Amino acid sequence: MEDKKETQTNIPTEFNPDLNQDELIMQRHREIEKEIWESTSLVCEKEELSSLEAEYITDEVYQGKVKDLLRKYRYIRRTRPDGNCFYRAFAYAYFESLLNHQREYESFREIIMKNKSSLMTSGFSAVTLEDFHETFMEVVDVLSKGTSAQDELFKLFNDQGYSNYVVVYLRLITSSQLQLKAEFYQNFIEGDRTVAEFCHQEVEPMYKASDHIHIIALSSALGVGIRVRYMDRGQSTEAIAHDFPEGSHVHVHLLYRPGHYDILYPIDTN
Amino acid sequence: MAGAALRRLMAEYKQLVTNPPEGIVAGPISEENFFEWEALITGPEGTCFEGGIFPAKLIFPFDYPLSPPKMQFTCDMFHPNVYPDGRVCISILHAPGDDPMGYETSAERWSPVQSVEKILLSVVSILAEPNDESGANVDAAKMWRENREEFNRISEKIVRKSLGL
Repeated sequence: MEDKKETQTNIPTEFNPDLNQDELIMQRHREIEKEIWESTSLVCEKEELSSLEAEYITDEVYQGKVKDLLRKYRYIRRTRPDGNCFYRAFAYAYFESLLNHQREYESFREIIMKNKSSLMTSGFSAVTLEDFHETFMEVVDVLSKGTSAQDELFKLFNDQGYSNYVVVYLRLITSSQLQLKAEFYQNFIEGDRTVAEFCHQEVEPMYKASDHIHIIALSSALGVGIRVRYMDRGQSTEAIAHDFPEGSHVHVHLLYRPGHYDILYPIDTN
Repeated sequence: MAGAALRRLMAEYKQLVTNPPEGIVAGPISEENFFEWEALITGPEGTCFEGGIFPAKLIFPFDYPLSPPKMQFTCDMFHPNVYPDGRVCISILHAPGDDPMGYETSAERWSPVQSVEKILLSVVSILAEPNDESGANVDAAKMWRENREEFNRISEKIVRKSLGL
């Protein structure tokens, strides 16, 4: 609260050497960013995929890819573009599918409970881990109610408290997986950062966007197949699919547009 | 959301009381408000701040630990990584990307698994070894680099003042 006042009263006035100007500019930047984020719900209602056509009326490359997608998918569910979108989209799409698959829900719950001890060995202290784990389990337990919990799940994912804690917990699972298999993942990390440094800077902090390496780690940690459809300026007329881990059974379909992930629903289900 | 922050702060406080790190005491200023803490930091041995006890306050946001707290010394402090008004400027108090000082990429950053304890330990370590690349206090950074004797003399005064001498 104090800070906001500081920004408002100090930016237009004379240079004040006690204030870090860069910090003030950044704070402004964050405020603007936040306004943009908040114009989209954390997780939106499902809508017809054809709504994408309107977004690209003047763009042939993208139009071709939308057409391709329309042959395979029926609905899209948008998520807030706040850097957490991969985790949030993944969690929502997977949890939603578990409502219909109670056996898989049971085994997912077991994986999560087992996984907790590997998080402890990755160096996260019990004090910092406990709250995230508990909140995550609270949401997971809702899935045991089956399809009748659809609305409840939607509400939880639009409640910042629950929704962001789910994101944090998935970030920790991702980080732990990367560190457990550090020898393998080191090959994919640019620059001279170690895997642990990469995790502290690019995985664990909120709002840091995800790349292939994050997706591979999370999907293999949980044993959940993710198909990402890429919509970019590439010349192909198809929105190319990548499956993570490669060759796995696909549980979750995501649409990637530069910098952002949304959820896709294939035509053959519902 | 504030409920989760409160729960976490209470857990961290309990941890700090039952298992305090050497040279650090920290806790809420009043039981009524867990979002404002006071910390006492002992100047690390073998450094120019040795023997001093430096009070600071920590202000936590309602979405803690998703966002970091802010920290400010409430005593005199002359140090490259502390603004003249006492605000502490170290990498762990910033999320990556929030980079007023262009910290090295390897520097420790804020994330929800950091903690008050880790912040305070980082502060102890910059007291022992200032990072003169990040000039929150440009004069102090310059003096630390170019006139260590004078820097030590000023530190000694600050240490004595912190003890009420």
